Amino acid sequence: MEDVQVVAMLVRRCVAGDAAAWEEIVQTYNRRIYNICYRFAGSADDAEDLAQEVFIKMYRTLATYDSSKGAFVTWVTTITRNLLVDHFRKTKQDRITDSLDAASSAHEDAQPLSEQIQDQSAPPDARVRSREVGETVHAALAKLSPELREAVILRDLQDFDYREIATVLKVPEGTVKSRINRGRAELARLLQRTYRQVM
Amino acid sequence: MPDHTSNGMQCHEFDGLVSDALDGALSGSRLEGFQAHARTCSVCGPLFAEVTAGRNWLKDLTEVEPPVSLVINILASTTGVDTQRLRANVSPSLSMSQQPRVSFRPSWWERAQAWASGAMQPIWGTVRQPRFAMSFGMAFFSLSVALSVLGVKPADLRSVSLRPAAIRHTYYNTQARVVRYYENIRFVYEVESRVRELKRNVTPAEPAPAKKEHKNDTTQQPEQKQDRNYSQNENHLILACAPLGPSVFDPLNQDPLNPDLPVVSVTTYRRFV
Repeated sequence: MEDVQVVAMLVRRCVAGDAAAWEEIVQTYNRRIYNICYRFAGSADDAEDLAQEVFIKMYRTLATYDSSKGAFVTWVTTITRNLLVDHFRKTKQDRITDSLDAASSAHEDAQPLSEQIQDQSAPPDARVRSREVGETVHAALAKLSPELREAVILRDLQDFDYREIATVLKVPEGTVKSRINRGRAELARLLQRTYRQVM
Repeated sequence: MPDHTSNGMQCHEFDGLVSDALDGALSGSRLEGFQAHARTCSVCGPLFAEVTAGRNWLKDLTEVEPPVSLVINILASTTGVDTQRLRANVSPSLSMSQQPRVSFRPSWWERAQAWASGAMQPIWGTVRQPRFAMSFGMAFFSLSVALSVLGVKPADLRSVSLRPAAIRHTYYNTQARVVRYYENIRFVYEVESRVRELKRNVTPAEPAPAKKEHKNDTTQQPEQKQDRNYSQNENHLILACAPLGPSVFDPLNQDPLNPDLPVVSVTTYRRFV
């Protein structure tokens, strides 16, 4: 996934005050962090703010990173996850439980990658349908409890292995597997209910 | 989850193997046992179907593209560097994988800015807090009100001399102006006069100090003279006595040591104005 030596060197340069090294780190990880934030928070605006906060926190605490304790990506994801949990707790009072039918995605700037790349073969209807499905799944994901949501996002959207997820979430691997399965099953139930209503 | 055995596998055991089964990590007899349990168990079978469906739904979710301004904002908020070069390189039409990966060497100015930003980060972090901003705003407001009350204008500050003597002079001037202002307030003046009046009424009259005659004290002379002059009538007679001058002196008849000077009385009417 990442060359440990290269990343460790990059971090050392950055701690020494090399702005180019920091820029490289930002360029490398902004996409991943933004996606985690977007899928967890559910809103593009929140995701942008949160991603920015993650990098600010990372910049301040970069000197504390110890490459012998784990991969840099795991460290970065742990920071992201902690910040997301804090954000979730802070906004708990303000949160409203929207219906899955409501248009959930106010994503103006960010678009699915599949739409960024022009697909000549796919008809417009299919693309619209694919986007609608994506939005519905995204809304259903936002309905999951934070414990199940974070586990599912890290496993199915970020392709982390169980050990890495266990490190990030600070729970045993068995718990991670259980949460992932419960999250997937809950998501399927929510989507089945939604589509049954639509039909 | 009910824990019963079906096809040699318990439900909790099945639950632990769901992830491995979906990841394709099961094989041989273990996989067969798992599949057999899923077919026969009324709880685990539907659960496995739901988990599989959920995972397939999630596979439909594609990665989203972050906003083009994200990297610029992050760099601006961390290192404080917001370069045109970076803006030019972030093209909205290109995805990250399509963008050329060029390692830039920052200029000495950017490096200096980054260093200064790093050094000022803790201070700046404190300053940016809302409560600090509120306190600063209140202090600024109070200062501006105080200055306007004192009559200080920003335009006057340009001509202010900062020499020590000038500062001292300004200080005394200001002090005098403040004292004058204070004493000229009608209310203060009235209070002070009342206090003086009360003091005068309460304190017994002191005996007049004995007049000392000072030989050389001429301070009272003009008044005395005036008194004397005004006390006289305008037709008052003044006797003037003057010795005769040398022209009337006869050296042949008179002893020079004992001259018998003739006395001439002259009466004049003098009118004092």
